Amino acid sequence: MSFFARFAQNRGALVGLIILLLIIAMAILAPLLFPESPWRMVQRPFLPPLSQDGFPLGTDTMGRNVASGLMHGAWVSLLIGLVSTSVALLIGVPLGAIAGYYGGIIDDVLMRFTEFFQTIPNFALAIVLVAIMQPSITSIVLAIAIVSWPPVARLVRAEFMSLRNREYVEAARLVGQSNSTIILRQILPNTLSPIIVLASLMVATAILLESALSFLGLGDPNVMSWGYMIGAARTVIRQAWWLSFFPGVAILLTVLALNLVGEGLDDALNPKLSRER
Amino acid sequence: MKKPLALAISAAALAFTSAAMADDPKEGGVVNTIIQPEPPGLVLGMIQNAPTRTVAGNIYEGLLRYTTDLEPMPQLAESWEVSEDGRTYTFHLREGVTWHDGEAFTADDVVFSADVFHRELNPSARAVLQHVESIEATDDHTVVFTLTQPFGPFLLSFEAGTFTMVPEHLYAGTDFRDNEHNDHPIGTGPFKFSNWERGTVIELVKNEEYYEEGLPYLDGVNWHIIPDGASRAVAFENETIDVLPSGTVENFDIPRLAEMDNVCMTEEGHEYFSPFAMLWMNNREGPTADKRFRQAVMYAMDREFAKDVLWNGLGNVPLSAFGSNARFQNDDLEPYDHNPERARELLDEMGYDGEEITILPLPYGETWTRWAEAVQQNLREVGINVETQATDVGGWNQRLGDWDYDLAFTYLYQYGDPALGISRTYLSDNIAKGSPWNNVEGYENERVDELFNEAATAFPDEEREKLYREVQEILHEDVPVGWLMELGFPTLYRCDVQNLVTSGVGVNDGFKDAWLDR
Amino acid sequence: MVYARLILMRLFKAVIVLFLIVIFNFLLIQLAPGDPAAILAGEAGAADQEFLNQLRERFGLDQPMYVQLWRYVSGIAMLDFGYSYRLGVPVFDLIMDRLPATLLLTGTAFVLSLVLGIVAGSMAAARVKKPSGSLIMALALVFYATPLFWVALMSVVVFSVYLGWLPAYGLYTVGAGHTGFALVLDVAKHLVLPATTLALFFMAIYTRMTRTSMLDAAQQDYVKTARAKGLKPSIIQRRHVLRNALLPIITLAGLQAGQMVGGAILTETVFAWPGIGRLMFEALQQRDYNLLLGIFFFSAALVIVFNIITDLVYSLADPRIKKGAA
Repeated sequence: MSFFARFAQNRGALVGLIILLLIIAMAILAPLLFPESPWRMVQRPFLPPLSQDGFPLGTDTMGRNVASGLMHGAWVSLLIGLVSTSVALLIGVPLGAIAGYYGGIIDDVLMRFTEFFQTIPNFALAIVLVAIMQPSITSIVLAIAIVSWPPVARLVRAEFMSLRNREYVEAARLVGQSNSTIILRQILPNTLSPIIVLASLMVATAILLESALSFLGLGDPNVMSWGYMIGAARTVIRQAWWLSFFPGVAILLTVLALNLVGEGLDDALNPKLSRER
Repeated sequence: MKKPLALAISAAALAFTSAAMADDPKEGGVVNTIIQPEPPGLVLGMIQNAPTRTVAGNIYEGLLRYTTDLEPMPQLAESWEVSEDGRTYTFHLREGVTWHDGEAFTADDVVFSADVFHRELNPSARAVLQHVESIEATDDHTVVFTLTQPFGPFLLSFEAGTFTMVPEHLYAGTDFRDNEHNDHPIGTGPFKFSNWERGTVIELVKNEEYYEEGLPYLDGVNWHIIPDGASRAVAFENETIDVLPSGTVENFDIPRLAEMDNVCMTEEGHEYFSPFAMLWMNNREGPTADKRFRQAVMYAMDREFAKDVLWNGLGNVPLSAFGSNARFQNDDLEPYDHNPERARELLDEMGYDGEEITILPLPYGETWTRWAEAVQQNLREVGINVETQATDVGGWNQRLGDWDYDLAFTYLYQYGDPALGISRTYLSDNIAKGSPWNNVEGYENERVDELFNEAATAFPDEEREKLYREVQEILHEDVPVGWLMELGFPTLYRCDVQNLVTSGVGVNDGFKDAWLDR
Repeated sequence: MVYARLILMRLFKAVIVLFLIVIFNFLLIQLAPGDPAAILAGEAGAADQEFLNQLRERFGLDQPMYVQLWRYVSGIAMLDFGYSYRLGVPVFDLIMDRLPATLLLTGTAFVLSLVLGIVAGSMAAARVKKPSGSLIMALALVFYATPLFWVALMSVVVFSVYLGWLPAYGLYTVGAGHTGFALVLDVAKHLVLPATTLALFFMAIYTRMTRTSMLDAAQQDYVKTARAKGLKPSIIQRRHVLRNALLPIITLAGLQAGQMVGGAILTETVFAWPGIGRLMFEALQQRDYNLLLGIFFFSAALVIVFNIITDLVYSLADPRIKKGAA
């Protein structure tokens, strides 16, 4: 069965993929449908949804167009999710690979290091990091990456430990390939599948983390993200519940979609035998 | 017919008596209010934080109190005289006043408080003491202050927070900060400290031996500590709280709460402090160093919009550097109305090239964050390239202290007299790194310095008026800082709490005269 | 005994980890911009150099870094976590004051999520090919994907503002003066929304895990043996399958401790719950270093303690360990 056929077998994954494509479309279409900055104060504050043309989701505390914010926010969420996951991978993959391949003391030290990071409550650590570095897209991405890499390292380590004694690795060693070549050319390509699955789930987590940080007021003030919109609406929730509602639904759908796609990728890339699904 | 007439007469009589009765203060009752954030301590003077002033202002007293027009009223000082040359102030203290522990209040307490206690602990007091040559107790109930030269605002400095009267017999000769009485403050005020359950409530009870007959009417005041703004609003709504001092509830909740039954609102009670919101503009470097840019910023901002949308229409858009509560305000100046066209003209004139500048919001809550967003939009619309930089209190303090900013929000107290609260922002010898409260913008103008320094010690008031008028003209043209808003800090309270605001500091000492109509 | 050695070893490791956390925290916070003396002075509204120096001296801020660190570390050994700059109260007292509220919240959420998660997961496992089973799993996925703070806010809107069934904020009704049983009831009412919203995410995790775990366990040999022996299916489910399926869940629960503390910060913020999560965020906003470090330390310690407990429970539950086989 081809990759896509296996993927499509999981109907949830298909639904997820469609939703994800819609979100991406939102991000791309935003500057076309709403060319003005979502920060522009364009109308009376607190307009309810559907009360006026051009403002399908109403306006917020400052008279800004909620629909515009929602669509521009899609781009922000996806960007932060992707970049922070990539950075987390850049940290976790090498660490896990080295630990898993060499074993022994190196493994011990690296694992204690990883364990240490896993003991600290990671959201609390993210808050402290962003606050120390002052909130900006850079500090948020770094903070998310720093709290997210341990599971990557563990996974890669486990994979490397199980693969390092395979015959083709032995063969490569006999032929005289250097360790780094073996790691990069021989073993790593075979670990890509679980890493990809993990990465898709990590993007989802990154989006949740970013929105939580923005909600608490630790977001980049120049960037209108969904989390920011929910946070800004917190004090007026009694007067204008819709300001929190729509961005929250957007986050929910995006994260849901990513999880479904992740499961689909899992099925497609790691076909398992006799699974009662 | 007889009956209707009789009815009418008795109805009139009833109305008349109840109207008369409504003016008679009732004794008794405990008022529940809120203090936010929790004060670090209650020894006023040792601690100058706003929450401490609010609560402890009911425990301690100063020599004078001030009306909402900032006229001095007698408190611990019954009367006073100022010498012809404006250099000698003689205060006649009230007799028969006792501290909460029973000891008598005398002139020795005054001398100790002003000369020793506050000199060591209180920066605002030190600023005033600079002008004082000597403080002497000529007898048990008379204190003479001799100044080095006339100092116009001197009489305004005797509010409870600046020169709090503290008991000499408990503090003299001790390490003030470690004094055992700090946990149980002893003052002369209408209320005595009773109990402090950290994180929950501070309880004050009536001072039965208070020197003013019949006062206070209330049996006690409980200051509740509720960390969350929304919870405070709920507590007020379900009537567990009677008074919401300003700043305890988010601006967005105020209209809704004010409309409730039996809820009254007043903007009075802050005249002494006169909170004034400003925009620091870095006079040293960047586009903000050019006067035309600063003027453009003033024209670009829609201050009325901010007042209406963010501050519920409360407060006042200031004309210029002197707020409307400040003495000697010059109101002949051309206002900086919302005029984006004029702003663009000015930017063209100076050749603004689109260089990016940063704006630092005040990290004090939602309203300020929204305000920064609004101003950012206003500026973008006239072509100024501006980026917001988020920061917290620590970062804000540091960046301002290091002059590492282009535009930054702030608010200061003007304290009524320009020599107390306004000049410090514009005097060139007040330029020093490390503080966000001095001349942070780096404005240096010799004539302005001259005028301010002369006016502080000029005598009489007519002289001061002339000088201050001229300085305002110069400042209005130079725009060293942006003048955003005279903040309206409303106090919300149940209408049956009568007579709450009777001074320029509002609830800080208001409970002395208040009574419950229940 | 096996258990005693287990606990001792874990405690030893825990001490080392905590020590490292102390050093790590301290270094982290030193990177922060902002002079605490200036902030404290700023609050006072008017500061001069003398005042700033007094503040620095009073709080030991003018000492070189290693002196400050040594003071801090040796203090912690004696349970002195320093003094909160802003609140003027020892940090230890502040944390102890707020800790019970957090324990109440997270404890309730934990039990709730575990119980409901296991029940839902077992139900889903039993109905594996039926639509009701899929529905349970779909709901679990949705709860997993929902942002915690958003569902908290929405629950406030629905249950508190519109329906008026439950209170929105705080631990108890301020100023109402409840005592005894009335107080317990009052607190319970306030606990419903925060505990439930905090539990949702973890409920979803346990549901999914339980289902997977039970399906796996059902395939194991000992189950087939039991079936061959002729035992009733329900007894098999309960005694063998469930028991063994619970083991990975216990491990998972241990791993989730850190997440739950993080989730508590958000929940406590939305519901104004007076616990250490909220205290931490307030401390951060005010650059109250000592308090921040103290809370950080305690949350890590909580996680470690919790992990030790789950390890113990695991070894009690695992029949293989009981029989002495490693």
